[in-house]
Amino acid sequence: MAEERARGPWGEAWSVFGRNYAALVGLGLLALVAAMVLVGPLVYGVDPFEIVGAPKMGPGIEPDAPFGTDYLGRDVLAGLLKGGRPTLIVGICAALITTIIGITIGSLGGFYGGAVDGALGRVTEFFQVLPALLFAMVLITLFTPSLLTVTLAIGVVAWTGMARLTRAEFLRIKQLEFVRAARSIGASNARIIWRVILPNALPPIIVSATLATGTAILFEAGLSFLGLSDPNVMSWGMMIGSNRNYLREAWWAVTFPGVCIFITVLAISLVGDGLNDAFNPKLRTR
Amino acid sequence: MTRRLSIRAALAASAAVLACFASGVFAQAQNTLVWGTSQAPRHLNPAVQSGIATMMPGAQIFASPLRFDDKWNPQPYLAESWSFQDDGLSLLLKLVPNATFHDGRPVTSEDVAFSIMTIKANHPFSSMLAAVDRVDTPDPRIAVIRMKQPHPAILYALSPPLCPILPKHVYGDGIDPKNHPKNNAPVGSGPYKFVEFKPGEHIILEKNPNFFIKGRPHFDRVIFRIFKDSNALLLALERREVHYVPFWSDLASLDALAKKPGLLITDKGGEAIGPINWLAFNTKRKPFDDARVRQAVSFAVDREFITRKLHAGRTKVATGPIAPGSPFYTGAVETYKVNLERANKLLDDAGLRKGANAMRFAAAVDFLPGNNEQQKNVAEYLKAQLKKIGVDLTVRSSPDFPTWAKRVGGHDFDMTMDSVFNWGDPVIGVHRTYLSSNIRQGVIWSNTQSYSNPKVDDLLARAGVERNLDKRKALYGEFQKIVVAEAPIAFINLLPYYQVYDKSLKNLPTTIWGAAAPIDEMRRE
Amino acid sequence: MGFVGWILRRLAWAAGLLLSVAVLNFSLMHMAPGDIVQTIVGEMGGASEETMAQLTKAYGLDRGFLDQLWIYVSRVAQGDLGYSYYFNRPVLGLILDRVPATVLLVFTALAVAIIAGTFLGVMSARYPASWLGALVTITALFGFSAPVFWSGLMLLLLFASVIPILPASGMYDVAQGATGIAYALDVAHHLVLPALTLAIIYLALYSRLARASMIEVLGSDYVRTARAKGLSENKVVFKHALRNAVLPVVTVAGLQFSAMLAGAVLVETVFTWPGMGQLAFESILRRDNQLILGILLLSAVLVIIGNLLTDLAYRFVDPRIRTDG
Repeated sequence: MAEERARGPWGEAWSVFGRNYAALVGLGLLALVAAMVLVGPLVYGVDPFEIVGAPKMGPGIEPDAPFGTDYLGRDVLAGLLKGGRPTLIVGICAALITTIIGITIGSLGGFYGGAVDGALGRVTEFFQVLPALLFAMVLITLFTPSLLTVTLAIGVVAWTGMARLTRAEFLRIKQLEFVRAARSIGASNARIIWRVILPNALPPIIVSATLATGTAILFEAGLSFLGLSDPNVMSWGMMIGSNRNYLREAWWAVTFPGVCIFITVLAISLVGDGLNDAFNPKLRTR
Repeated sequence: MTRRLSIRAALAASAAVLACFASGVFAQAQNTLVWGTSQAPRHLNPAVQSGIATMMPGAQIFASPLRFDDKWNPQPYLAESWSFQDDGLSLLLKLVPNATFHDGRPVTSEDVAFSIMTIKANHPFSSMLAAVDRVDTPDPRIAVIRMKQPHPAILYALSPPLCPILPKHVYGDGIDPKNHPKNNAPVGSGPYKFVEFKPGEHIILEKNPNFFIKGRPHFDRVIFRIFKDSNALLLALERREVHYVPFWSDLASLDALAKKPGLLITDKGGEAIGPINWLAFNTKRKPFDDARVRQAVSFAVDREFITRKLHAGRTKVATGPIAPGSPFYTGAVETYKVNLERANKLLDDAGLRKGANAMRFAAAVDFLPGNNEQQKNVAEYLKAQLKKIGVDLTVRSSPDFPTWAKRVGGHDFDMTMDSVFNWGDPVIGVHRTYLSSNIRQGVIWSNTQSYSNPKVDDLLARAGVERNLDKRKALYGEFQKIVVAEAPIAFINLLPYYQVYDKSLKNLPTTIWGAAAPIDEMRRE
Repeated sequence: MGFVGWILRRLAWAAGLLLSVAVLNFSLMHMAPGDIVQTIVGEMGGASEETMAQLTKAYGLDRGFLDQLWIYVSRVAQGDLGYSYYFNRPVLGLILDRVPATVLLVFTALAVAIIAGTFLGVMSARYPASWLGALVTITALFGFSAPVFWSGLMLLLLFASVIPILPASGMYDVAQGATGIAYALDVAHHLVLPALTLAIIYLALYSRLARASMIEVLGSDYVRTARAKGLSENKVVFKHALRNAVLPVVTVAGLQFSAMLAGAVLVETVFTWPGMGQLAFESILRRDNQLILGILLLSAVLVIIGNLLTDLAYRFVDPRIRTDG
């Protein structure tokens, strides 16, 4: 009993999370992906842009390229190891951007209400009515595709859900007793927003930000599929996008990066679900 | 119990429906030709629009004064005979007596005159008919083209893809021909007539029963289906949802296709279009203003690797500015066989020493978006290959054509991959790239290299008006030698045009214009 | 403020929203490198300076930015969506030509996803500890984690090449020129793969939603009452609880038009489905600005209508909610 209390709500969530096998599998997968992406390129030093052999060699044929070569004769394994970093960076950074914009707009709207909420709600609605993928494409063609523009474009088009979530949480929490208490002892608005409400609104935001990372990775892959990626940076999406015309002759160059994306997003979703269950007391009791 | 029964009934019903579908797929009408293409035309009037997308349907709908065989010889079409007069300053065309437009009105010399002047005023290839002054019509069946100077290219300019004869009573109503509503529902005198055009989806044509060549054409309907994804086009062809694909662009899949039972592939036809895949330098930018640097890059490119490996042995090494199919081609030029030692030495001589990181200088390469195999892949190969001679190359990608055109047309590039077409006579498709008078800011496929050599200008000016074939050949031979040696462009590869078709199809268009010419003889057996 | 006033204010706001969509995107497209003249000249295989100048003038691109913007916006205000210089046709006609294909694709996919997703979700809630529950979770996660174009390509290879029972591309067989019922069947046949591909993503989402809300509903008082009356568990689940569990699914589905259009762009590209998404994608690359703006505006209108209907529904269900702030 005492131990339970000592761990607090976060600790309790963690213990629920720890009993969720699916979430643990997700965490394990994520660790695996991270290890592959961080350590892989150090161990396996082949330049993913270097032409190492004949194009479209199947996996296992040539010991130099165990995962085969792509349409140019570049090593697929090198691409997989080196291409993970940019993919994850785009995913994480885009998710961060959506979270920052979403929290800012949602918290201000939810906290102040009234005219501020009205104005911010309209901004949110404006971005919500634009078809995300098309708007992102407009932005990217405007600045030509690079890691930076793709990340920014995804971040800019995808934050509305986060803003609405944050706003709803703020609306709910600001009615609660401890917020009133904080107000009554004269805490400033900024303090109430940052130190009182936000920490309590964090659990669903963290879940949503986790899932947003997966969505951003898929979004980047979709843009690459349409040819909007940076050819100077090897990423999984870029590998799929540039190899997809050769799917029938060199399936491995499309399949392996596809599997990498799939596993990464799957792991992220599992962890996100686990966090959701852990943070959500309603489901926990059942 | 009842529910289980109804499920079973539902299953049976869906099986029946599926069976219907399966049989429907193979029950296509025998006399319909489905023509697959990855090229979506804007509209269907080749008089004001060049490009294969418009030419393919355009050449079926419209007839032209002349057509060509597979050896570059002009043949009668709407004109049953023709002759040069006044020392080559006039060309007399005598029209066939029985040609009518699809609306029933006869084709007269008035229509020919109207069409030639419309093309001269509106067609993007301004050099094609620039020498034409006017067209006289002394008789409804006689048209005389009057020229300001001898213009040997005029015969090519009267070919099916370049000179559709428009009905004056339809297009001569004063509306701007570039935006004429009938460009989307054209009226011509060719073997097939227009039925329906859904932009980006399909074009439906049907047999012209009154075609002026008796006994032709042979299909009741010709349907162009437009595919945006090459995997989908491939599958449709394998399953015979599509029977015929000329100008096949996805070379990597040809080997697999060749093994499919019932499909045939030919590389015959289309030589006059003459596309050359090349790497162009901005000769105004350092260090590419030094011919030695350009030559070094050219020597570093392994063209055999590109054609054999990247293009699966389906393309050929390019040696110069004129495609080998042309009568004016010469192979007696520097061949730039891959030689890294020589490339390194040239760069040393040019004063570009290797720095600390074994790199001499950094540069960027652009590429024409759209055809990855010919463009992007080669650019990516260059990035890997030029590293070996100490060039730190960045691939600068353009997401779409306007971005690329803006950069290259605006001379804002170091080097760029490009694909440029000969279009029959060198006057039409070759001169534009090398004439110093054609260095124009903002115009794509002009002399964007800013290449300038008075000797070349002079040779081209003389070759353009030379009526003696041998003398003309000699002039172009000299021109090719200089341009290849000075290397404003590193010529990479030629792209033969492959036609993929069902084996039941006979008499494919294998003339120099390939499927950009009428398929009035093509039939199914 | 009465109901009429509320509706009027919503409409005024919607008009303002559309105006800002038009202005923002017009400006963005204007800033993009190159223009439609480059595209057209590119497809012509090159053109002289004079031709380019002529085209630029004919399309009004030689005017100042504000001038062009004003002309465009005032036209749109009069209900004229403008002209596609690429296709030489009015924008409205081009879009209306493509809308049915996209609507058919998206709505079929939605229907499949809602029905199958709800069914799977409900079944897994009904038998929480069974393999079915695990299957739903796994399917849902797999559907969500695989890139949509990727699953599309895989399905395409499987059912159009390895086991060729479904057509590879297009919406109907032009060569057959079928009409009436034969045409409808032909379209249905072509629809299977693209709709399935698109449905997979939403299937994931809806089965999770349905499962969650079903678990919630099954714990509520009136379900307990129903059980206490001695109704069979199947009756309780399908007659009483289901209706309540479907509501959140439908609500979420109604709000997702813009996400669906994104999926549609990719699926239409894989299957050469002649819809609006494909047209939009190509128009961006061609700088066919009035066409792309027309599509964005139309999508915005559809989203706004969807939101309005949702708000309206809530307003009637729960009059305390004042959605207009």
